[in-house]
Amino acid sequence: MSTHHSTQSPTATAVATTPDPPADPAATPSPRLTPRRRLAELLAGDLRALPVVAGLTVLVLIFSLQSPFFLSSRNLSNLLVQAVVTGIIALGLVFVLLLGEIDLSVAAISGVCSVLMAKLMAEAGMSSVLAVVVAVVLGAVIGAFTGSWATRFLVPTFVVTLGLGLILNGVQLQLLPRTGRYNLLGTGIEDIAGSYVTGAASWLLVVLAVVVVAGLKLTHHQRKASHGIDSSVVKNVVLPVAVTAVAGVLVVSVLDANAGIPTPVVIFGVLLAITSYILTETRFGLSLYAVGGNAEAALRSGIKVNRVKIAAFALAGGLAALAGIIAASRLLGVSVSSGGGIGGGALLLNAIAAAVIGGVSLFGGRGRASSALLGALIIATVGNGLNLLGVSTDVQLLVTGALLVLAVTVDRSVERLSGSVGR
Amino acid sequence: MTTAQADHASAGPTGAGPILELRGISKTFGGVHALADVDLAIHPGEVVGLVGDNGAGKSTLVKTMSGILRPDGGEIRFKGSRVEMDGPNAAKKLGIQTVYQDLALCDNLDAVQNLFLGRELTGPRFLGSRIKRAESESRAREVLRKLRLDSISLTRPVGAMSGGQRQNIAIARSILWTPEVVLFDEPTAALSHTAAEQVGKLIRQLADDGLGVLVISHDIHQFVVEATDRIVVMRLGRVAAEFRSADVTGEQVVNAMVGGNKGVNSAR
Ligand SMILES: Nc1ncnc2c1ncn2[C@@H]1O[C@H](COP(=O)(O)OP(=O)(O)OP(=O)(O)O)[C@@H](O)[C@H]1O
Ligand SMILES: [Mg+2]
Repeated sequence: MSTHHSTQSPTATAVATTPDPPADPAATPSPRLTPRRRLAELLAGDLRALPVVAGLTVLVLIFSLQSPFFLSSRNLSNLLVQAVVTGIIALGLVFVLLLGEIDLSVAAISGVCSVLMAKLMAEAGMSSVLAVVVAVVLGAVIGAFTGSWATRFLVPTFVVTLGLGLILNGVQLQLLPRTGRYNLLGTGIEDIAGSYVTGAASWLLVVLAVVVVAGLKLTHHQRKASHGIDSSVVKNVVLPVAVTAVAGVLVVSVLDANAGIPTPVVIFGVLLAITSYILTETRFGLSLYAVGGNAEAALRSGIKVNRVKIAAFALAGGLAALAGIIAASRLLGVSVSSGGGIGGGALLLNAIAAAVIGGVSLFGGRGRASSALLGALIIATVGNGLNLLGVSTDVQLLVTGALLVLAVTVDRSVERLSGSVGR
Repeated sequence: MTTAQADHASAGPTGAGPILELRGISKTFGGVHALADVDLAIHPGEVVGLVGDNGAGKSTLVKTMSGILRPDGGEIRFKGSRVEMDGPNAAKKLGIQTVYQDLALCDNLDAVQNLFLGRELTGPRFLGSRIKRAESESRAREVLRKLRLDSISLTRPVGAMSGGQRQNIAIARSILWTPEVVLFDEPTAALSHTAAEQVGKLIRQLADDGLGVLVISHDIHQFVVEATDRIVVMRLGRVAAEFRSADVTGEQVVNAMVGGNKGVNSAR
């Protein structure tokens, strides 16, 4: 780069000298949308989550009619905690799936990192806080390694992470002691899953959530208004704030009737909020969508595609490690089966299914942070509800699998009708 | 065959020297000489048509000017001084914008996001470079209005739009940052005749405002001869001929493209 820099501002002064004649309707005919297509576009856009939320509601209705215990605050608290581990891994996967990539090593990362954490405490006498930090950082480093390898050697991430997952399974076995298990009782790690935020503190969290949402929505609204862009206060500020407040009050009153908000649920909530901010508000988030939508276009527009990929995999790895630690805390120890066992097992499949059921496209470019929440809730609800009804694992698998196929089918149909695929 | 390459650095229609100039550019892919010793100049205020058969090297030439491809040999001069472009952003910083043959739009993003792609207006880094959506939207609206493209939705994903609308968004993106040179790779390929005429007017408008414009097109008779000032013909990676658009017929241009000698003449 050298010599000349023209001063540029993003306005069209280049053509500013010509007067503005009336718009030429022949050149850009405004589309006449059929009601069916309009609905499809709404479902593909603002109302994307509607079918999933409807599905979740139906599930909850069915189970609450079948088992009186289902809607008890104790069971709902349990259900949420069950959703957290899958949900956090799915949240990390959202970053990767948005790029049109996949990470099949996330479950193995969660396993190996939690085992390493336990080993560091048990054998190196490391403090629990430091061990947790080391484990999460290691997860991120493993993810970054995946991203670098895939971009450096142009190997599909599907293959890299498949192999890496097996390697990490092997490492996990090597790290474990002869007994095949490290006990975490009395290390402080068990407090993560075993503690609750209750009373005033839990309500403070609700207030905090409302304030953050209100702040974000208000600044958006004000900026739009100051740039002369139409923006409805009711739709863009009041509605989201009201939804947050109502949801917050509902969740906290239910959970406080039991023991309070389980700490893992608080952690998941915070991670969801941060991820949501990253994806919807920041340049990095937009880059993920751009790369997933058209990697070549992103590259030509100057986006550092490789760096974006490495960062996405690092985030997925770090979140997977954190999920592994929470799982270890719930089970009071780590073992061969941490991280879903060899190959990732149900943990890996459930995490991918959660993201996809929640509306993340496997082809990249589409999905939200809330997808991970909704998908994990659906999977946890099916598991929890069928368990209460005494239905065995085989049927749970049948139902979860069928829901996955159904969700993707609905999703694709919406997309086809709205015209955003099949071009 | 005769060409007018010696005259490249001479005055354009406004009397100024070339704004963008290529000297002896070559580029090979494996064994293929996509470009061999190409000279080309674009002056402020003129529309240069770049024509040639499929595979003649037109897109490759444009990519060297937009920083996507590094030439193997030769030099690129911008406003009289030599420049090295190490990527698409380097060209954009100089004021060279490109509208690609495949439009390079992200179908899942809306018009505003596509317009600002890679150069988003953002807040401070400690807030994660938060995108200034409202400001972007109002500037996008401004540019589209100036191009008389008010009817384009700013919030629908561009994947759901018509070919003409997508083409227009790609053009709007190219002028968003007040460029000095705009390169178009087949802007009319997928368009109806009326929409192509519209693009022709738009291109002329840019040149009238003092920009240097280069247009690749296969539509010799309807578009190139009508909408350009000068026509450069490429064949097998080389400049085969050059014409003044006013002095030439479509037949003569096509002849030069396919290698017939009949009617090949010099521009100046
Ligand atoms: N990335 C690449 N790798 C290998 N060969 C390439 C590459 N890009 C272009 N070529 C070759 O270089 C030559 C010129 O291609 P180019 O795309 O510039 O042609 P063009 O004039 O734009 O043709 P068209 O009218 O079909 O768009 C062709 O032989 C093409 O196969
Ligand atoms: Mg081409």
